[in-house]
Amino acid sequence: MQFELRYQPAHTLAIVHLSPGEAIRAEASSMISMTSGLAVSTDGPLARGRGGLLRGMGRAMLGGESFFTNTFTAVGGAGHVTLAPALCGDLLVHDVRPGEDLLIQGSSYVAAPDTVTLDTQWQGMKGFFSGESLFFLRATGDGPVLLNAFGAIQTIDLDGELIVDTGHLVAFTSGIQYRVTTASPGLIASWLSGEGFVLSVTGKGRLYLQTRNPSEYGVAVGSSLPPREA
Amino acid sequence: MQYAVEHGPVFAWLRVLLAPGDVLQAEAGSMVTRTPGVQMDTRLNAGRRAGFFRFIVAFFVALARKLFGGETMFVNEFSAPGGGEVVVAPSLSGHIIGKQLGGGRRLFVQRGSYLASTGDVDTRVRFTGLRTLLGGEGLVLLECSGDGEVFVNSYGGITEVPVDGTFVVDTGHVVAFDGTLDFQVGSVGGLKSLLFSGEGLVCKFRGRGTLYVQSRNLGALVDWISPLLSG
Repeated sequence: MQFELRYQPAHTLAIVHLSPGEAIRAEASSMISMTSGLAVSTDGPLARGRGGLLRGMGRAMLGGESFFTNTFTAVGGAGHVTLAPALCGDLLVHDVRPGEDLLIQGSSYVAAPDTVTLDTQWQGMKGFFSGESLFFLRATGDGPVLLNAFGAIQTIDLDGELIVDTGHLVAFTSGIQYRVTTASPGLIASWLSGEGFVLSVTGKGRLYLQTRNPSEYGVAVGSSLPPREA
Repeated sequence: MQYAVEHGPVFAWLRVLLAPGDVLQAEAGSMVTRTPGVQMDTRLNAGRRAGFFRFIVAFFVALARKLFGGETMFVNEFSAPGGGEVVVAPSLSGHIIGKQLGGGRRLFVQRGSYLASTGDVDTRVRFTGLRTLLGGEGLVLLECSGDGEVFVNSYGGITEVPVDGTFVVDTGHVVAFDGTLDFQVGSVGGLKSLLFSGEGLVCKFRGRGTLYVQSRNLGALVDWISPLLSG
């Protein structure tokens, strides 16, 4: 399986080249085109390897992952499928290794082969109230994961501590611990500062950030839109 | 203070290295990361040497705008007694440029284009009409003065226009302009063109100085999306 990324960083497209017998599982509606030799199966949360109904629902509702996924399998010969997210921005491929999981901000996940398993990581009540989708998907196993970002991607090899705005986080490896905290010591100051909740990340590992914040973009555009009619 | 604009011109962000004593003032909500030694203080953007009355007026305007969903008038000040680094980014896709002030030069920045400025720059909000107070169309400007650097962000690319004489720009495309330029907000022609030309309000500049224009317009994006929204 090979990933080819084009049109970076503004409107990145991923071309996933599959050898005969290989398969990739992708988020619903991320497929743009595919060669005709690929078999497509749509799986709900009950499918084998997706961890059963409750876990699947948990991922969909909490993790930002789609409820249904499509699996593209090269049955006859080799083939390829092209994938892209809804918003403008870059894509990246991270190789998950045994013993080093990847924690993914829910809406950043695009695709992975069956050798990689996804599960929801509960963030505690603070994550729940932060207003951002602070539910991480934990990717374990051995294989590549395709992620999307809103904006360009900054890779940081962390060794120490960094304070990160939750809306700019894409993913990080499991050697990094995180703590949800207010941006300022006080709640009112945090609200006025516009930063709300931030993550304090510590440890050693890799961290991927996106240069734009989807919810800030939503506020910038959405606050000017006419109110929805009931 | 050292800085770098990275990931431009489409998704630029600003990385600033803070030496002890340096202060970076940045738009509320713009922080991406900061190192643990960096302190953040939230302040009302009433101008550094604002009197009591102006402070009170700015306070109520700020509160109203925060509650009604407009842009906030709060800014965050980042400082690092032991040195540190802070990264800030705007909300929309586009670029960032830094402009050095000093020697009495002032820069007017469209409210939504202000990203950050260094500690010795004073930023004051200037309203160009009552309607802008309530978040309507028009031009809300920040008057930047003092010695230091101002960082402005654009929606789209930034064109630097050396004006000598007169120049007309759609208000939605104005990023910033030198204080040496006089300006007037009006329609491009008469009432007919205001209603039917599709150009809305324009800013007419006169004098000699530099003008920064962005290649996209948030108001135009909103106008394009609005009719597509279903209830």
